[in-house]
Amino acid sequence: MKIRTEQFNQLAAVEIEKARVRPFLKMVPEFLYRKRAAGLPSLPDPDAAQAYAAAVRAEVVNRLPDLLEEFERNATANGAKVFWARDAKEANDFIVKVAKERGVKTVIKGKSMITEELGLNDVLTANGITPWETDLGEFIAQQMNLPPFHIIAPAMNIPVEEIRDCFMEKAGMETPTVDPVELGYAARVFLRDKFQGAEMGIAGVNIAVAETGTVINVENEGNIRFSKSAPKTLVSVMSLEKVIPTMQDAINMIRVLARNCTGQRISAYVSMESGPKRADEVDGPEELFIVILDNGRSKIYQDTEVREIMQCIRCAACLNICPVYRQIGGYAYGGAYSGPMGQALMPLLFGLDRTKDLYRACSLCGACASVCPAGIDHPKLFLNFRDKDVKQDPRFNSQQRPAKERMFFRLFSLGMSHPGLWKLGARLFRPIFNLNAHDGVVSRMPGPLAGWFRKRDMPAMPVKPFHQRWEELKDKKS
Amino acid sequence: MNGSNMEEVMAETAREDILGRLRAAPPKTVPPRPHLPPMKEAELAGEAMVAYLMERLAAEAYTPFRVKDRREALDKLAQIVKEEGLTCVMASTDDVVAPLDLPAWGREHGVEVMQPGQFADRQEYKSAIFDRAQASVTGASFVVAETGSLGLVHGTDNPRLLTLAPILHIVLIPADHVVPALDAAVGRVFGQKGKYPSQFSFATGPSLTGDITGYLFRGMHGPRRVMAIVIG
Repeated sequence: MKIRTEQFNQLAAVEIEKARVRPFLKMVPEFLYRKRAAGLPSLPDPDAAQAYAAAVRAEVVNRLPDLLEEFERNATANGAKVFWARDAKEANDFIVKVAKERGVKTVIKGKSMITEELGLNDVLTANGITPWETDLGEFIAQQMNLPPFHIIAPAMNIPVEEIRDCFMEKAGMETPTVDPVELGYAARVFLRDKFQGAEMGIAGVNIAVAETGTVINVENEGNIRFSKSAPKTLVSVMSLEKVIPTMQDAINMIRVLARNCTGQRISAYVSMESGPKRADEVDGPEELFIVILDNGRSKIYQDTEVREIMQCIRCAACLNICPVYRQIGGYAYGGAYSGPMGQALMPLLFGLDRTKDLYRACSLCGACASVCPAGIDHPKLFLNFRDKDVKQDPRFNSQQRPAKERMFFRLFSLGMSHPGLWKLGARLFRPIFNLNAHDGVVSRMPGPLAGWFRKRDMPAMPVKPFHQRWEELKDKKS
Repeated sequence: MNGSNMEEVMAETAREDILGRLRAAPPKTVPPRPHLPPMKEAELAGEAMVAYLMERLAAEAYTPFRVKDRREALDKLAQIVKEEGLTCVMASTDDVVAPLDLPAWGREHGVEVMQPGQFADRQEYKSAIFDRAQASVTGASFVVAETGSLGLVHGTDNPRLLTLAPILHIVLIPADHVVPALDAAVGRVFGQKGKYPSQFSFATGPSLTGDITGYLFRGMHGPRRVMAIVIG
């Protein structure tokens, strides 16, 4: 997919006006948020479980190289082939090579954010290999050529009428319907042939267990299990932070992940591969490739202040609670990841220069951090990015802020540290500000402050401020 | 140096590069893990555990039944076959189902019972499980009361697609196969170093989706219904 993080403000302005999306945005994140709230109490002490999960993720992220080597060793012993990719190109080239060498024409894919990040579908298509997204939401998004709207419900914003028209045209649906169950069934029937016939499956990884060399997927539809069971070849793609020390840790994490995602005690399917199928098995992959992807993460790892974003387990609790996401939805973020986790991850993946508006589109309310089971403090990261950006920290391509803004803050800082100057400035500023007042209210302003007043207004400033009147009153009294 | 050697060297370099960068990063100390209270279900045992499982099965949208013994289980199976009008099913050969000799039972009840072992290759097996089997009948290695999950150790006796491709899955659960909590998998499936099944899965109820406008319904790609016959 094409990265459009630079256009966040423009995209958000378009998205917020889309009337048809508003009811879904009002409903679905709130629905998922409530499911989560209702699901967490089935843990004996939800806060303790969240804190424990966060501690495990923090530990993992600080032991990454050891855990990855242990995982690789055990996965290899299980018979999997592990491939390390520095960037998207290396990963994509490898997957294409595996497919071509085996004469693969059709690939079935489980929903994975990591292959969205890789832009894998475009690369496969360009090489004459047809990728079929098989998660219902991802299938709809693929057929309609749309990016994911939400990391766990990628097409929740598409009205049923549009899905009907799309399925009539592209998914062999014969009788028009707007019933979600019937639409789902049509996709089931259409994709069944693909499950049966595809020569290769591609899936992401939710958890990679170092102790056993096992890769784990968590899903509800069964499409990932199909992708991992029917074809002869399986490629599992994981970003390098997915690893976790033990199987017991994985079980604990699954409990917390499912509840934070959808309020479930466990998702309908959790499947765990430890190597390819054995010789006497009738299904399952004959070859299992595990791609460990860096794509900028080892660079993030160098900075201990921002490293914690790698603790993310992609549950989407932060999206569902975010007041910004709830207004603009997922497209405006301009990449595979959206909501607070996207705002915290994409600046580090794509550069602070290409994501300026992303980490500023936040009121720092902290709702995201309050629900995060991985212990990420998203607002703290946004402040860190803003700080780096202003200070022109070169590590993540931060650029200078515009000259006018720098000038403004220099003057502001001067005024704040010199009371006399501040008073003088305020006295000069008040009458200029009040030039724009109508009936005691300023609702428009020319020049650099115009943007602030676009959707707000402010009372006109008094000729004499309170402090001055107070001094005068005191003088009078005495 | 030929092409494939070259690729191996490049892959090796990528590995060294990535691990090298990770190792060179400044260390950060993290606080030790806090106490994690055990799941309350971990204490379940005996009849209370089976009763809890029955509740979870209902909550996870299974069609649950409880019978006294294997004989009654077969009667229930005959009833399901009749009511659903099944003429062709595929059965596992795991320790729960194999002793029942379902192929012979099927001949008596007018239903063809296929078994995964009878197919020469993947292609033949796939067309049977995708196109012919109207249902699957399987056991489970163990069943988790905490979540109502079937613990499925896949292999020759209970291959992966058997519990996935048919639209109806009938699972037989002897009461002595019920375990209290998910943690059972750690010892039972992954307890012996290096001797893990190629795939293990937890399956919990029929497949599920909410991808169209957030409307939740059961029966997406996996089974639409899962009938659970708890025995004993």
